[in-house]
Amino acid sequence: MRIKRTLQAAGLIAAAVMMGLLTVQGTYALWSATAVAAPGSVSSASFTVNLTATPSGQVTTMTLLDGRPANLALTPDAALLPGMSVYAGVVVTNSTDAGGTFNTVATAGQPAMANLSGGALSQYLSVSGKAAASAADCSAASGYAPLGASGLATPAVPKSGSTVICFQVTLSSSAPSTVKGQAVAITLPLTVRQLCGVPGGC
Amino acid sequence: MKNSTLIKGTAAIAVGAALLLGGGGTLAAWNAEANQAPGTIVAGDLNVVNATTAGVWKDRNNATIDITTYKVVPGDKLTYTQDLTVTLVGNKMAADISTTGITATNGFSSANVAVSAPALTVAGAAVANPLKPTGSAQTVTATITFEFLSGTAGRSDVTASYNFNNIAFQLTQVTQSGLS
Repeated sequence: MRIKRTLQAAGLIAAAVMMGLLTVQGTYALWSATAVAAPGSVSSASFTVNLTATPSGQVTTMTLLDGRPANLALTPDAALLPGMSVYAGVVVTNSTDAGGTFNTVATAGQPAMANLSGGALSQYLSVSGKAAASAADCSAASGYAPLGASGLATPAVPKSGSTVICFQVTLSSSAPSTVKGQAVAITLPLTVRQLCGVPGGC
Repeated sequence: MKNSTLIKGTAAIAVGAALLLGGGGTLAAWNAEANQAPGTIVAGDLNVVNATTAGVWKDRNNATIDITTYKVVPGDKLTYTQDLTVTLVGNKMAADISTTGITATNGFSSANVAVSAPALTVAGAAVANPLKPTGSAQTVTATITFEFLSGTAGRSDVTASYNFNNIAFQLTQVTQSGLS
């Protein structure tokens, strides 16, 4: 008897739920329509900067495929004599595929010199730099300024444009003969950064 | 003898019934009819379609760009607009328009981009639901902005991709007074 009543109650509840669901569902039965838009994909540009060394002729991208910064050897080939200078340069090319404005500026930082084979040549060397329009301008002695902590920044380089950073290494005329035949490794950090293209500032 | 009487009686009933059937017209009394023309019931309409096959992408300078070839850099701000044609017909028609939002496949670092939800406007003003018939099709404009933030550092998110996939716009009839 108790089971029968339970079954009856369950049946009533189920019927009530069904009726309720049907009643609520009825309110959704109005017209509706849908339109679909596909805006597509937004892709970011590459930040590709190509470097060409003068006089070594070495060519590389500034960032290697594995993400590490490239090392570029300039290797000026002229012998350095007291009171004289040797010259080298780097052609920096903005090779981005950006869709809009993408100006860059290249900056050469303060040089670090290391004597090779226990020499003492570095203390008699000075490094200067200048920005130029072509690598051929590097061998012209005019326009060079010592590279300090603030480094040397180039003018803005637009897409597909290039600039040249020239370096001048001068051996002091007071260099003793004991440094003859010695060599120095000079390291110059080179940085390229995007210039702000937002009208209101970045 | 009894059979003969039965046969005669049956025949008489049959003849009488036949006479009654043949004289059916005699049952007609006065009658009249009138025709009514309730008219035709015409259903209204509800629809939303893209006004153009594809929306329009513009850069920060309001110049139209081809998103399939355009490459963004930090500082870029792109705007996408898609016009929707909304048709509403019916004396008691009213409908809400809404969007399902963006379900993107984002290859960027989320901190480096700012993407707005689709904003729906009519003649430059935010949509005020429900929309009602105006006698002609209405244009609702959906707008999305994508900004590659200028604070992006290093070489973050070079050659990344942000796929918007599909964005749906739903027009749904709502009940008004007189409807249930």
